[in-house]
Amino acid sequence: MSNSYNWPVLPNSDSKIVTIVVDGVEAKVPEGTNLVEALETIGIETPHFCYHPDLPVAGNCRQCMVETEGPRGMALAIACYTPVRAGMKVATDKSSEKVRTARKAVMEFQLANHPLDCPICDKAGECTLQENYMAADRQPSRMREEVGKQYKGSPDHRHVDSKGQDRGGKHVDLGPAVVLDEERCILCDRCVRFMRDVAGSEQLYIASRGDHSFIATFPDQPLDHEYDLNVTDVCPVGALTGKHFRFQQRVWLLAKTETIDPTDGLGANITVEHHDGHAWRIMPRRNPHVNKSWIANSSRLAYRRLSEDRLTAGLFGRSEVPLAQAVSRLGELVRGARKVALVASGHLTLEDNAAILAWAQILGPRAEVFGGSWLWVGAPDGIARSGDPVPNRRGLKLLGIPDSLDELRARVGEFDVLVVVGNDLWTANPSKAATLEKIPERIALSSWSDATVRASTLGVGVRAWAEVRGTMVNVQGRIQIVNAAPILPSPDLEPTWQVLSTAGRLGWTSELDAFRFAQSRIPSLVGLTYRTIGPQGRLLEGAEA
Amino acid sequence: MATLTVTQNFGKGAADIAVYKSLGGYSSLGPRLFDLSQFELIDLVTRSGLRGRGGAGFPTGMKWSFVPRNTPKPVYLVVNADEGEPGTFKDHVLMLEDPHRLIEGMIACGWALGVRTAYIYVRGEFLKAIETLNAALKQAYDAGLLGENIQGSGYSLDIYVHRGAGAYICGEETALINSLEGYKGQPRLKPPFPAVSGAWASPTCVNNVETLMALPWILEHGPAAYQALGTPKSGGTKVFSVSGDVVRPGVYEIPLGTPLLEFLESSEWCQGVVGTLKGVIPGGSSSPVLTAEESAKANMDYESLASLKSMLGSGAVIAFNDTRSAVGMLASLTRFYAHESCGQCTPCREGTGYADRILKAIVRGEGRDGDLDTMLDLAANFSYTTICPLAIADAWPIENFIGKFRSEFDALLASNAGHAESRVTSDFRPGAFW
Repeated sequence: MSNSYNWPVLPNSDSKIVTIVVDGVEAKVPEGTNLVEALETIGIETPHFCYHPDLPVAGNCRQCMVETEGPRGMALAIACYTPVRAGMKVATDKSSEKVRTARKAVMEFQLANHPLDCPICDKAGECTLQENYMAADRQPSRMREEVGKQYKGSPDHRHVDSKGQDRGGKHVDLGPAVVLDEERCILCDRCVRFMRDVAGSEQLYIASRGDHSFIATFPDQPLDHEYDLNVTDVCPVGALTGKHFRFQQRVWLLAKTETIDPTDGLGANITVEHHDGHAWRIMPRRNPHVNKSWIANSSRLAYRRLSEDRLTAGLFGRSEVPLAQAVSRLGELVRGARKVALVASGHLTLEDNAAILAWAQILGPRAEVFGGSWLWVGAPDGIARSGDPVPNRRGLKLLGIPDSLDELRARVGEFDVLVVVGNDLWTANPSKAATLEKIPERIALSSWSDATVRASTLGVGVRAWAEVRGTMVNVQGRIQIVNAAPILPSPDLEPTWQVLSTAGRLGWTSELDAFRFAQSRIPSLVGLTYRTIGPQGRLLEGAEA
Repeated sequence: MATLTVTQNFGKGAADIAVYKSLGGYSSLGPRLFDLSQFELIDLVTRSGLRGRGGAGFPTGMKWSFVPRNTPKPVYLVVNADEGEPGTFKDHVLMLEDPHRLIEGMIACGWALGVRTAYIYVRGEFLKAIETLNAALKQAYDAGLLGENIQGSGYSLDIYVHRGAGAYICGEETALINSLEGYKGQPRLKPPFPAVSGAWASPTCVNNVETLMALPWILEHGPAAYQALGTPKSGGTKVFSVSGDVVRPGVYEIPLGTPLLEFLESSEWCQGVVGTLKGVIPGGSSSPVLTAEESAKANMDYESLASLKSMLGSGAVIAFNDTRSAVGMLASLTRFYAHESCGQCTPCREGTGYADRILKAIVRGEGRDGDLDTMLDLAANFSYTTICPLAIADAWPIENFIGKFRSEFDALLASNAGHAESRVTSDFRPGAFW
């Protein structure tokens, strides 16, 4: 199908900059890119529904129309399928009545069969239809009751409502994760293109024709894919919603914290969206170099674990102790040790691991740092997962911490204290980890009451990935920022580096101290700050190797 | 009797290859065709003035010249036999009566464009035509007229019949190609045009059945003779399918430029109008309707109808007398387009359905003042804003039926006791809130 060939040309660093005339004003934009993207670079927003920078162009919503100069003078064209040519003339809604009329007309058509159920719609507040209505339309409906609506939807889902009106399908269960409300659908085709051209598994299609067409799965085939929840993001209206977030929160209440996916080595960019001290959902954050606009379902649902089974205090044997007491006990045990094994973790930030190194440096020959993971490493899926479940493995390597868990097992007799920092060894490989139980004092720093904490003599609760600030290096060698959302399950919890700094008397007061220590170990970090790393991360020099 | 270039074998059993050959068929498959170079053949077709007979009337020679030469990709010929326009039934009859002429025309076109594989995309409902075509193809293969090395010319061509699934939109060439490839029949974004990137992203020429069937005659008698049959700008003859209130509806081939009323009233053709003529739809349901006065001025060629702001289209003439309701006709047409809109572009998908529902309300006697203006506004808004011209094909009937027969619409609106009630159901004032 033609649509599959039409991937949009996006601006990049190699784009040639040319001059075009927009609304009578000269502007410099990247050549060859489509007008939606080109106008975006000069701050002109073009309303659209079906266009998505990471999907093939379908050109079916017709909302993005502008006027461009053609062989027969200025004519309407869709901006998403019009490439920039040097010297071209473009008129947007600012200067062209024709464009304003066309966009207004398309809005009327979109709304002709759309229900007015925003008060109960999960998309309200982040709905493209609402936004474009305010931007381009703002007209009262001309629809009369006698004229009626064409309710979209499969005949199987038809029902008669309490007023005796024929209604389209409500909450069609598409599969384990996604629900469809057919009457809200504006048939932009994004979900179909996502499944076909990105997920590579054609599970959705548009059945039937005209205004009676509807999104459907194939007979007896549910929508079931590791990436299927992305269709709820690309859906510009509330037609596709995820079961995990349906009727949970109004989206305008949610504050967003930009961070990265903690479950995979690619570090897909995400936002944790929270309200009232609670994380309600994770959304993908677009990063063309990392995950485009996509995240896997398992990454998206990672927020659930933030409120499950948390270790919010110290655990001394079986009995809970206040955190401060557990931290000072940690310091005493390590300082009193003959030889201590510190196990660093690729699940933690560079800053946390820097604290381990700093403490080991103070302890001198009495301490040795080990690292690595026993988790199974899969293959990259080409979308938003590298297959490596350890998000900061590359960072550990840069800090000079080797993959040495098996060496630790071999030399287990040399140590009398083991400190496992944020590395759930007993879950990853219980039989290998059992060897480590030969070490008499086992201390675990963890955010969860996991198997490692249960196997330890002292457990210390620390903040989880969404509650700390720091940096991680993904499999590409890109350093990315992890940010803290205000969703602590207990106000006493401290970041791992802080706990280590207190126990080891490092005297660090912020993660910047930790970052500075990491810079002393990683030359390519020198000169970087959290600001210069920025929201899209930054490829470290020599990282390709 | 006018000269016939396409339908001369009607009623003679030419679906059989022996009969077709005895009537002079397949005589072009020799030096007459294969001595011509590709350029000479395209030039010859250009000089004949042949224009696409499917509806748009694009000059055939020019269309062929857009297909690139010496491409590493195969060039495909696709015959558009997805005849779905209401009132049009000429291709169906042409394929039933004279399938070998189509095959001969396809070989000529294939030679001109360097085609190795050609498809005939036939509307799914034309089961008889598909059977006829397949039987004719088998005969042609058996006679060595298709396949490897046709008649020792060194040229090879294979033809396949593809059965469509019965969607009007698949008559649009890019939707047809999508359907041929096995996808949902929805028009593609252009550019690229099919001549450059069509079926399987290869150069593709899509021609109507009748266009290709004119080629054997042009090859036999020369382009000048064909050109001379019509008007200076519209060469040749055209096959019309006539329906509605005429004494003898049917498929007729007439020279381009014949006056419309002469065509309807001639004893040779339609033999007169039943009742008093109220109007004529001259070129398929999407062409703007002509009133009786306009019909008197119309000649059946591209330019004359264009000057009356209508079009020759596919050559489906629907004549109707004064017993027919213009409202009913428009409602019926709009219902067709709302049903056949492929649903891809918003304005067409929602607009045709919206117009359909308004018209249904009017027909039910629930029309109100302002409904006609809403309809006209909708029609203007879904014209020229979509990928393909289906929306325009609905907009033109709406604009012309309402424009030319407005009094009938107004009378029906006035019959609703509540016709003057406010149309807008709420007094919504955006400024008051935002």
